[in-house]
Amino acid sequence: MSDAPLYEIKDLEYRYGDKFILNIPHLTIEKGDSISLSGPNGSGKSTLLKILAFIEFPCRGTVSFNGIKATNVNAPLTQNVTLLLQDPYLLKKTVFENVAYGLRVRRSKDNLTARVCESLRLVGLPPERFAQRRWYELSGGESQRVALASRIIINPEVLILDEPTANVDQQSAFLIKEVISSIRKKFGTSLIIVSHDHIWRNQATDKNIEIYEGRIREYSTHNIVRGPWTPAAEGLWEKNLPDNQKIYAVNPPDKNATAILSPSNIIVSTEQPVSISAQNILKGIITSMNLEKEPGKVRIDAAVSGMPLTCCVTQHAAGDLQLIPGKDVWVVFKASSLQWH
Amino acid sequence: MGYILNGFVRAGILLATGNPETFSAVFTTLKVTSMSIMASLFFGIPAGFFLGYSNFPGKKHIRAVVDTLLALPTVVVGLFVYAFISYRGPLGRLGLLFTIPGIALAQAVLVLPIVISLTATAIEGLDRRLKSTLLTLGARKKQIALTSLVEARHAVMTAAVAAYGRAISEVGISMMIGGNIKWYTRTITTAIALETGKGDFGEGVALGIVLLLLAFVVNWVLILLKRKK
Repeated sequence: MSDAPLYEIKDLEYRYGDKFILNIPHLTIEKGDSISLSGPNGSGKSTLLKILAFIEFPCRGTVSFNGIKATNVNAPLTQNVTLLLQDPYLLKKTVFENVAYGLRVRRSKDNLTARVCESLRLVGLPPERFAQRRWYELSGGESQRVALASRIIINPEVLILDEPTANVDQQSAFLIKEVISSIRKKFGTSLIIVSHDHIWRNQATDKNIEIYEGRIREYSTHNIVRGPWTPAAEGLWEKNLPDNQKIYAVNPPDKNATAILSPSNIIVSTEQPVSISAQNILKGIITSMNLEKEPGKVRIDAAVSGMPLTCCVTQHAAGDLQLIPGKDVWVVFKASSLQWH
Repeated sequence: MGYILNGFVRAGILLATGNPETFSAVFTTLKVTSMSIMASLFFGIPAGFFLGYSNFPGKKHIRAVVDTLLALPTVVVGLFVYAFISYRGPLGRLGLLFTIPGIALAQAVLVLPIVISLTATAIEGLDRRLKSTLLTLGARKKQIALTSLVEARHAVMTAAVAAYGRAISEVGISMMIGGNIKWYTRTITTAIALETGKGDFGEGVALGIVLLLLAFVVNWVLILLKRKK
């Protein structure tokens, strides 16, 4: 049983009514993994987190945890996994009681005060100032950190975080990252995190799983280009952007099809390319640049007629082209680079 | 207008001099309402919690019945309880008619729907994130249920106060079941009815003021409790 992966999902289906929310044929997460989930709103990330935290169960398929199939909410394995919601709920009690709750329900009352104080210190809340505060006497960031303290105190095997930095300032986001990194090092806690903040996500986790419309795409970030598509010359189809720019694609399955565009298929140029076979030559502006986890790679976020496009270039190329945020660039890609979802 | 003002003056005198008849009615009222509220909370909070927390077939219908019973007329409750505890009734042997426990029993029946309905509403109104949060912190079914009730404590306290207000202010039950026996089952409200009928506004107004004071004290205690918690 010790060889079993931490999680193994097989043929998972989850739906609300007739609508598919998740459809995952197979997914494994190993012990000690630090994984982020990304994808647009409504793609099923939060539902997957709830399934992994055993507070929701799939309509079909199985989720195994350390080789044990999850069947109901009271399975003992729920004691080993904890989820921090995006907008955490605090009990209508003091901070101390909130943090101590997980230990109390486990009847683990040895050194309770010392452990609560240690957890509060770990999340940057001095216990002498915060322990006796009531739930309504906290700011959004402080509530988030109290909720995090109440989870790390139970020393979970898996810590699942849903948008932990969505409602906090940069300092708190940094602190949360430091805390989860330290408990991972100290206890070998596995981390599963949903975050739209790709920089924070890249720093806090080892790999990313992208979900789109309830399906796992692959372990990287992709651009999503939605229809409508209209027929154009030479058998191509076009999507009109503001400023009279157009994106060309090949054989969309239907007029409103969604295309996926890999950042690695996009070329960035500071001058308008001429005599080039690629059909898509779009003018944009660099909005942000960040180092990728992969050494020597730079992620470039550009706005093309207002539409965000993520590209990936080498550090060397970024230097040569003198790319900086705010600079006008040309993004170039082939019509065939758009893959249909 | 003069007799109303005189009534207020008499009220002051009765209360200041500690009129035994007035205070007998006050203590009887406190005794009866305490008993009825204890009983209604004992049965009403678990029932209300179950109604608000659980999902079962026919829940909506039961809820509709409970909500309808909120408007139970006191005389109807008095009539049915009288029928049960009168000497010819199925509970006649208990000798509850014209006793303080008899009034308390009928008042408990009257306020039970209030406790059940308001507790159920309080539980249904709990934040939807609560259950997920407790689950993710490792709580089991019983712990989740207990914590949910604790989280709803302020609303449950409000239910208790509303029930107390209904019990302390009713007159039909106390009159029918208690018989308004001086020094024994005469409550504030039955005394007010009697004294007003006799034309003794002073005693009536005095008792009315005491009734309002009691309600004020109960609410003030609740506010203090809420603040403390």
